Amino acid sequence: MDFISNKYPQINAMLSEIGIEKIDDLFASIPVELRLHAPQNDDGLSEYEGLRLMENLTAKNTFPSYENYLGGGAYEHYIPAIVSAITSKSEFLTSYTPYQAEASQGMLQAIFEFQSSICALTGMDVANASVYDGASACAEAILMAFRHHKNRNKILVGQSINPRYLAVIKTYLQCLDYQMVYIPNKKEGSIDLDFVKKEADHTTAGILLQNPNYFGIFDDVKACFEIGKQESIIGIVCADPIVYGIAPSARELLADIAVGDCQPLGLPLEFGGPYAGYMACRQDMVRQLPGRIVGETVDTNGERGFVLTLQAREQHIRREKATSNICTNQALASLASLVAILWYGKEGMKKLALANFQRAAYLKNELQKISGITIPYARSTFNEFVVEYKTAIDIVIKHFQQKEIQPGIRLNDRSLLVAVTETKSKAQLNRYLDVAKEIA
Amino acid sequence: MNTIFEKSQVKQRAFTIPYASEEYPYELPPELQRQSPLLLPEISEIDLMRHFSNLAQRNMGIDTNFYPLGSCTMKLNPRVNEVAAALPGFVRTHPLAPEETVQGNLELINDFIQFLCKLCGMTAGSLTPNAGAQGEFTGIQMIAAFHRQQGDFQRDEILIPDNAHGTNPATAAMAGFKTISIPTNVEGDMNLNDLRHLVSNKTAGLMLTNPNTLGVFSSVITDIAKIIHDAGGFLYYDGANLNSIMNIAQPGKMGFDVMHINLHKTFSTPHGGGGPGSGPVLCNDILKPFLPLPQVYKDRSGYHVKWEDPTSIGQVATFHGNFGIYLRAYLYAKLHGNYGLRRISEMAVLNANYLKSKIAPYFTVPFPQTCMHEFVVQADNYLDKGVGALDIAKRILDYGMHAPTIYFPLIIKECMLIEPTESESKATLDRFIQIIEAITFEINGDPSVVKNAPQCTPVTRLDEVRAAKQPILKHILTEPF
Repeated sequence: MDFISNKYPQINAMLSEIGIEKIDDLFASIPVELRLHAPQNDDGLSEYEGLRLMENLTAKNTFPSYENYLGGGAYEHYIPAIVSAITSKSEFLTSYTPYQAEASQGMLQAIFEFQSSICALTGMDVANASVYDGASACAEAILMAFRHHKNRNKILVGQSINPRYLAVIKTYLQCLDYQMVYIPNKKEGSIDLDFVKKEADHTTAGILLQNPNYFGIFDDVKACFEIGKQESIIGIVCADPIVYGIAPSARELLADIAVGDCQPLGLPLEFGGPYAGYMACRQDMVRQLPGRIVGETVDTNGERGFVLTLQAREQHIRREKATSNICTNQALASLASLVAILWYGKEGMKKLALANFQRAAYLKNELQKISGITIPYARSTFNEFVVEYKTAIDIVIKHFQQKEIQPGIRLNDRSLLVAVTETKSKAQLNRYLDVAKEIA
Repeated sequence: MNTIFEKSQVKQRAFTIPYASEEYPYELPPELQRQSPLLLPEISEIDLMRHFSNLAQRNMGIDTNFYPLGSCTMKLNPRVNEVAAALPGFVRTHPLAPEETVQGNLELINDFIQFLCKLCGMTAGSLTPNAGAQGEFTGIQMIAAFHRQQGDFQRDEILIPDNAHGTNPATAAMAGFKTISIPTNVEGDMNLNDLRHLVSNKTAGLMLTNPNTLGVFSSVITDIAKIIHDAGGFLYYDGANLNSIMNIAQPGKMGFDVMHINLHKTFSTPHGGGGPGSGPVLCNDILKPFLPLPQVYKDRSGYHVKWEDPTSIGQVATFHGNFGIYLRAYLYAKLHGNYGLRRISEMAVLNANYLKSKIAPYFTVPFPQTCMHEFVVQADNYLDKGVGALDIAKRILDYGMHAPTIYFPLIIKECMLIEPTESESKATLDRFIQIIEAITFEINGDPSVVKNAPQCTPVTRLDEVRAAKQPILKHILTEPF
């Protein structure tokens, strides 16, 4: 099948209008030896068959039948019904990047409000319209720090950053002449500030920390960035945006750049994407930001309107001198996050963050009481934590799976990373504890 | 229109928290609590819904208007794709789920890579790059990794035609390369002597869009490939314009070594006002060892995911890329079949040539030959009346259609890049032609109506200079709340 409007009457009329006999003649500029014969006998599926094909694939995914405690950068949160009602609106869903501002005021204003909401959460001055995901946001923030400090070539990265973010950062940096130094952890799970004091010098462009880190632990971000300030080192904090509902804003932590992944707000797991990376920074760094930025202006009648602005940073204007190669971003995903943020609002964001913290704290504390289970890190955690079993972890995981629970991400042969969100009731958490008792 | 921050009303709310009545005796220690106020609006669900419904009404989309934005391939976004992407069996799968619990997802990834390879004449690929530019970045990193592996450290140049998308030079620079620009000749093609003059033992590769952004298919593409390969470089295919050649010609057969596809263009996934996209990378056997992670493979026990590989360039996305986007593209491919995909390209090229021949009389046409799926015209013949491409574009909006891409490619004066796509009917194209005719009539009569356009859009022409000079980049909630 296809979705082509014109059939033979229109096709023939158009061919004769342009003075061409047959469709093949339109491709005369392609050298004959490169041209393929038309495929035969493969005219695709009907809509019904296509949908059945997709349903058959989902039937091979058994994961949704389990209770899910996996996190590690992708979390199962409730998505308000209003989110898809808005993101499925034709005018948002089927528009392109808003190059023609007067015909794209809806999306431009929505992006402006997304930027505003990210600034409200992080406490930063300016935000962009999104990058691909949390990992690319971290990588782009590091590149920003190197542009800000042109003569510095070192970046310090907390060892407990999400390993998949770290993998992407390495890919972004591998062809460039920069040095990455890992900040080791102390026993309780937070970074070694003495190491930072030693390493944070005049060759260091930035420090990247995740907070809470990959193991869910609230780190000594402020103390670390304070050390960095003595050498004007750019502090970059990567965070689950929900955490800002209760925990100190990026500004309070003395960050210069705040980044992270919007997935926890309004975006489904969907096997890893589409998510959206957010980036916010200090006012004086705005010209180093990558990607789209929307600004307010006026029209010829003095009415308020919105446009893509500060485009002299971008690839379509600056080409090889651009701040980044990013063009297509994650606009519709950031719209979904915006709607979720607004649905929760000022009060709801606090309550959502608190519910995540409390339910995870409950499970963590109750697990700790079970003999054969320990919580290796003493520091406060948000909605994710590490749990260590005496029993081999593969046996633990298998036991949970038999009870239709995915208990967490396997970290090593003794420990799991467990994520708890507002979607878990006390009854579910108690069931988790019962299963843990059986196997510990 | 007021922003949502200006619509805040004290204590209004839309949210509910699950199981809110359950009590837990835990509080964050004071030093871990936020001190600064959370300046988000307070808004009820009806006002939230109405706000975004009103915003949507202030936006054009392919669903509401003809959208001939060149190089963006704005075609119908079939709704069956949206239904598929919302199936709970996809939506609720975690990216780190045990392999045996996501066999359907892994099968889809494996199957789609093979489908795309066959379509493009390549042998291996990855769906993880999140958009076209990230696909470019991945491909260029793969080329860099090959040269590194060979101990060939002097190749620090990437050649790029001056008509290329801005992402090409930006990508090369991000990967640490110098960019060398190749001029376009009068036929809109590349001059082989220019190329021979520019290649050297410093050439890592050449990035090329074919057909290029002028809508011209390079008739010397196999010679270009030979020159680059003889110099020890690789040929990169920017797949932004793949909509013109599906099952008609293959990048692999043309001599390209590595490429990306913009699924949000050719394979019709909705562009969502700027993204998400999806930019799979495909390559030949030589570059296969360098493909990004994670990689999906199949053995007797089923499908598996490989997260580590010594020769791979590493990861470009956190997990598996924009799965929810490329699953739409997969269904789109399955609905069309190979014959349907060829028909897409045939009809996209026919629509472009029809439109070109009908509006040619009103503009300067720098490349009069048959075009591929898009074409450029120069709106420089009304400059004496004070009207340029920008004014014509804005006036098109008044007539209820989206404007073409303007001022790109940068090498064409007063450029309008027009791409109608295969979706559009002859009647829609005829309406666009009438609009162009009407606008040129206006210019020759009273050009001020065009210079003052648009007047029928939600706002009139916006002051972009002011936006950049006095940037207002956010609203904040003003106290008292």
